[in-house]
Amino acid sequence: MVWGPLIAGYLFLAGAAAGAYLTAVLVERLDPEARAMRFAGRILGLVLLGIGLVMLMIDAEAGLKNPLRFIYLVMNPESVMTLGVYFICVFMAVDFATCVLEFLKKPVPGALTIVGSVFAFAVAAYTGFLLGVVNDYPLWNNSVLPILFVASALTAGLAAVSLVGMFAERAAFEKMALLKQIHIGLAVLEGVALFALCAIVYSNSVEGAMAVSSMLTGSYAGLFWVGIVAVGLVAPLAIAVAELKSENASESGFGLALGAAGEVGALAGSFCLRLIVVLAAVPLILV
Amino acid sequence: MARYGMLINTKKCVGCFACRLACQMKNELEVKESFIHYEDVEKGKFPRVYAEVVPMQCMHCEDAPCQTVCPTHATYTTDDGVVLVEEERCIGCKYCMAVCPYHARVQIESTGVIEKCRFCYENGEVGKPSCVSTCISKARIFGDLDDPESEISKAIVAHNALPLAGNLTESKIFYVR
Amino acid sequence: ASPDEQGKGSEVSRGFTLCNGCSSKCGLVCTVKGGRLWTVEGHKDHPYAKGTACGRAHGVAQMAYSASRITTPLRKTEDGSFVPCTWDEAFAEIGERVKKIQAESGPESIAMIQDPRPSGKYYSKRFINALGSANLYTHGCACNLSKESGLTEVIGTGKYSTDFGKAKMVMFVGRSYGDGIRPSSVQSVAAAADANCRVVLVDPRLNNTGIFATDWVPIVPGGDLAFLLGMCNVLIEEDLYNHEFIENETVGFDEFAAQCKEYTPEWAEGICGVSADRIRELARAMAKAAPAASIEPSWRAVNGCSYANSFETARAFCAVNALLGSFGQKGGALLTSTPSFGDLDPEKFPKVPKPKVKRVGDAEYPLVLDSMGSAAVAAASGKVKAFFFYNSNGARGYGSPKMWTKALEDAELVVTIDIQMSETAMQSDFVLPECSYIERMEVPEALGGKKHAVAMRLPVIDRIHPETKSCDEIFAGLAEACGVGKYFGFSVEELSEAQLNTVGTSVAEMREKGVVALPDPNFEYKVPKFKTKSGKLELSNEKVGATGMNPVISYIPRKVMPGEGEFFVIGGKQSIHSHTMTLPVESLNAISREYDMERIWMATADAEKLGIETGDLVEVYNDNHSDKVAVKVTERIMPGVLFVPSHYGGKSKDLSLAYGYGIDMSDYLDGDFEPHVGSIMSQEVAVKVRKVQA
Ligand SMILES: Nc1nc2c(c(=O)[nH]1)N[C@H]1C(S)=C(S)[C@@H](COP(=O)(O)OP(=O)(O)OC[C@H]3O[C@@H](n4cnc5c(=O)[nH]c(N)nc54)[C@H](O)[C@@H]3O)O[C@H]1N2
Ligand SMILES: Nc1nc2c(c(=O)[nH]1)N[C@H]1C(S)=C(S)[C@@H](COP(=O)(O)OP(=O)(O)OC[C@H]3O[C@@H](n4cnc5c(=O)[nH]c(N)nc54)[C@H](O)[C@@H]3O)O[C@H]1N2
Ligand code: SF4
Ligand code: SF4
Ligand code: SF4
Ligand code: SF4
Ligand code: SF4
Ligand SMILES: [Mo]
Repeated sequence: MVWGPLIAGYLFLAGAAAGAYLTAVLVERLDPEARAMRFAGRILGLVLLGIGLVMLMIDAEAGLKNPLRFIYLVMNPESVMTLGVYFICVFMAVDFATCVLEFLKKPVPGALTIVGSVFAFAVAAYTGFLLGVVNDYPLWNNSVLPILFVASALTAGLAAVSLVGMFAERAAFEKMALLKQIHIGLAVLEGVALFALCAIVYSNSVEGAMAVSSMLTGSYAGLFWVGIVAVGLVAPLAIAVAELKSENASESGFGLALGAAGEVGALAGSFCLRLIVVLAAVPLILV
Repeated sequence: MARYGMLINTKKCVGCFACRLACQMKNELEVKESFIHYEDVEKGKFPRVYAEVVPMQCMHCEDAPCQTVCPTHATYTTDDGVVLVEEERCIGCKYCMAVCPYHARVQIESTGVIEKCRFCYENGEVGKPSCVSTCISKARIFGDLDDPESEISKAIVAHNALPLAGNLTESKIFYVR
Repeated sequence: ASPDEQGKGSEVSRGFTLCNGCSSKCGLVCTVKGGRLWTVEGHKDHPYAKGTACGRAHGVAQMAYSASRITTPLRKTEDGSFVPCTWDEAFAEIGERVKKIQAESGPESIAMIQDPRPSGKYYSKRFINALGSANLYTHGCACNLSKESGLTEVIGTGKYSTDFGKAKMVMFVGRSYGDGIRPSSVQSVAAAADANCRVVLVDPRLNNTGIFATDWVPIVPGGDLAFLLGMCNVLIEEDLYNHEFIENETVGFDEFAAQCKEYTPEWAEGICGVSADRIRELARAMAKAAPAASIEPSWRAVNGCSYANSFETARAFCAVNALLGSFGQKGGALLTSTPSFGDLDPEKFPKVPKPKVKRVGDAEYPLVLDSMGSAAVAAASGKVKAFFFYNSNGARGYGSPKMWTKALEDAELVVTIDIQMSETAMQSDFVLPECSYIERMEVPEALGGKKHAVAMRLPVIDRIHPETKSCDEIFAGLAEACGVGKYFGFSVEELSEAQLNTVGTSVAEMREKGVVALPDPNFEYKVPKFKTKSGKLELSNEKVGATGMNPVISYIPRKVMPGEGEFFVIGGKQSIHSHTMTLPVESLNAISREYDMERIWMATADAEKLGIETGDLVEVYNDNHSDKVAVKVTERIMPGVLFVPSHYGGKSKDLSLAYGYGIDMSDYLDGDFEPHVGSIMSQEVAVKVRKVQA
């Protein structure tokens, strides 16, 4: 296995960071007064990505031992990894500036938000393409994976910000039905993408079939069915649907706990997805 | 300028690992680090069976995906066609490892650098590849692909030797199979 | 300098030695960087290396730096643990005990067991004979004793070689150049395959020489004798044999031909599992290619030491080649000469008197080869009170380990000279540490063949552990302590110089070249002079007859036949390992583990019946032993046969990389010997297999 949990963690955190930032943008649109959620999204954008980058650097042993070498990361614009570095740099700079303005209670210029959103999306998408361009691993090298990763990134960001909203700004949060609708929409999209990924990868190569089998019935079956499907997709989906249907359920303590559980589940599922995709991939053998 | 390549004749290889071990010593690798690995092929049913060992290492691809993805330009190609890793630039991100279709990349434990066969490059030029000189069945030939008179060029023609994966990466290791 | 200090700096120098990875002792060129061994290459002038070196050469050279080296003499205490002692203490106590045993039980109760190495065979022989004992044994009883004994009774020498360069057809019967490696052999079969020689592999499994083979003939283990006699039947009955050779150069043909009548291919098929048609086809093809066709002489697996019929199988090899008339012919089976050193100054190198009592075991096993003896027979006899081992892990590798443990427990003194804590060392009273081979000089070795040469081991690096000694120093010390020091009043360098001078070269020239060519023996293709009693190739032999065996080459069945639900077991070398000694070598062990090489092979058909898949753990058991190991399921082996790679199942806890890794066939042995010869019958085993875990 080329990469392990550290890189899975990085992919998850980078996606969640971008998702959180984008959620903040949306929250700003929906309710300019919901400052906690907005601010949280922006801060999470920085913090999660920061932690992710630390994990990335720990995994890159030669760089860790000689940190100055990380400067060379910008050298090869042909590499998705270098592109990612560009995206991350711009995104983090914008997010940082946004946070400073937010902290100083100054208005954030619309143009900055647009740039930030574009690069946040780029960060979310690049984590998918980083793996997607690796021809060698059928589980990675397909057009579904980036979609799945983007959906999962947005879900994770949304979930993180929702958690904050639930506890810090409950009233405002409850009014934003669109967030839950998006949540549901993303979960459905993810489910479909996951199914498509398995079906396509399974049928296209022996190694792909091996990878998918290990996910569905083999050594990663627990992680897949419990972590991704049950905890990460079905449960949050069910909870979100239930919440949408029963207007005031979430006002109870139980409702809050359930809602929070759903969001935590979505986060966990998003991490499990990265983990399984990193670990279960089987390379093509050319002999 | 020469363009170096290698021929591996699997019709002669007995899978003895001498090349791996000689390479490890020459390149001062740890025992678990190896620039060469082997794929066992078994075809047919008893008693009509064909068995073959395919030694694999960096193919010094002309169209090297590891070089394309290397974010730091640590991976580069010399003028004589040898793909090398500049240790001082490599951060150990393993991207090259992930994209190498031949699984030729190896992490060096002590430095974290992701290395591979260097065609025994020493002091700025190709040396005498140890895997070739130790090969007990003379299954390996090293030399200049651009020189039609070289032993390797002649052998490639004589045996119709081909890269392992067609022109997937324009590999410079040719196999007789 | 300590191993850590060595290797600093980057000055590169070069040195010559002979590999100690196996008995081939190939010439090596080593480079040393900053005082530490860097690379190893085969010497281009060495006839076995031919410029290349096998995997073991690289790994074994690194044993010098191994953490499992023994660095001081060790003696066993009452509680069975080892404590370091000085050389003086070790020598003094060993000397005292040897003298006591000599006085009480006679010198004939002392034995020396060694795997012949250049200095080892010279010094160990001199030492044991100086003590008055003829009990010098090699590893032969577990290797090629039956083969060399068998060949000797037919062609007057234990060796012949295949003339690959000109051969049209070669048959391997239980020999794999691609696994039991000697580089020159691999090169020769590769060249033969290039020249479209038909290469036939007779083997229950498709071994790694398969890549050069035109035919794989799976055979029932130990059924080889029937197969060979079936071919003889075809050659004689279809009148395909070489009349001129048979009439002029052999004795006993008429009896042999009469005997062969019953060995029809159909009869052979019933025993060896090779179809009668195929036996006929192969015999006819060999006859057609003759005399540039022969059966390669083989080494261990079939005619070496494995079966109750190994000796007879070795004789049958010669019978086939005789019928083909291939002895001495282009592309056939060659008998070549080996040079020897001349007489040395008797003052400086006094001759040791011949011991009076015959070697233990020779009387009961009269066909045993003189230059080998059977160490296992000696151990089982109960007559040996003191054992010396040099470069040998006999107590594990020469037959039933249980039998050896009893023999060593019953003995009064066991001394092992080794570089690591082998199973034998573990069971010794004293363990004497030799320096590794790249740290020492040894006496030169004369090399025979179509051309003659001499090569020698010279130190490549400085001694790493100051309290280790070289073979010559150890034997000189032992001899002094045992009161026979007068036979050892010279250094290894003086001895080497004297020996080399007798063939016109010197240590200085060896230092410069590593390998030196000797005058051309002018090899010619012609029927060789057979050094048998009759001077001819003996298809019937008096000495064999005198034991009660049929003097004529004839059929003997293998001893142990698997019953219902049981498997045959065969062993075999792996390219990166030598016997028991290399599994603790880090770089070689790492390969075994990376490629799961300890797994036993099982045929797909058998595995399906037992519900076993590759990687599953099974229990392999018989009345003597039970052990667990993983399985490799493959089409490359005959159903009903298990292949157990030979190098696994270490029992010495000190060699942690080898300890308990894989299984060792020896543990399953009954501990008896091939009649009249004394080989260990290493494959007279049947086992059952049960799946324990997926
Ligand atoms: N790698 C390596 N090479 C070595 C050595 C080593 O330890 N390791 N040691 C050297 C020494 S000392 C020796 S003795 C030689 C041994 O060299 P070989 O004689 O070639 O030794 P093995 O590998 O024991 O057996 C050879 C083949 O015989 C097959 N075989 C087993 N049983 C039977 C049988 O009943 N009938 C037939 N027809 N075939 C059978 C095995 O499957 C195997 O493929 O190798 C020498 N070279
Ligand atoms: N289990 C098992 N038994 C076997 C075989 C097998 O493959 N497996 N093979 C059989 C065959 S074909 C043969 S030829 C014999 C070989 O039998 P041995 O010659 O006894 O071979 P090894 O078992 O390798 O043991 C050699 C011993 O010499 C030691 N040694 C290594 N280098 C040196 C050195 O420089 N100096 C000294 N003093 N000691 C050194 C090693 O540590 C080891 O303990 O074994 C036979 N028995
Ligand atoms: S074989 Fe792999 S490591 Fe070597 S150049 Fe090609 S892609 Fe790069
Ligand atoms: S591990 Fe080193 S050589 Fe490989 S892609 Fe990363 S920086 Fe380049
Ligand atoms: S060419 Fe040199 S570096 Fe490459 S595999 Fe051979 S020995 Fe190793
Ligand atoms: S040294 Fe030669 S024969 Fe041995 S594994 Fe390598 S290529 Fe094959
Ligand atoms: S065959 Fe290999 S291990 Fe044996 S002496 Fe030669 S190089 Fe060494
Ligand atoms: Mo042997």
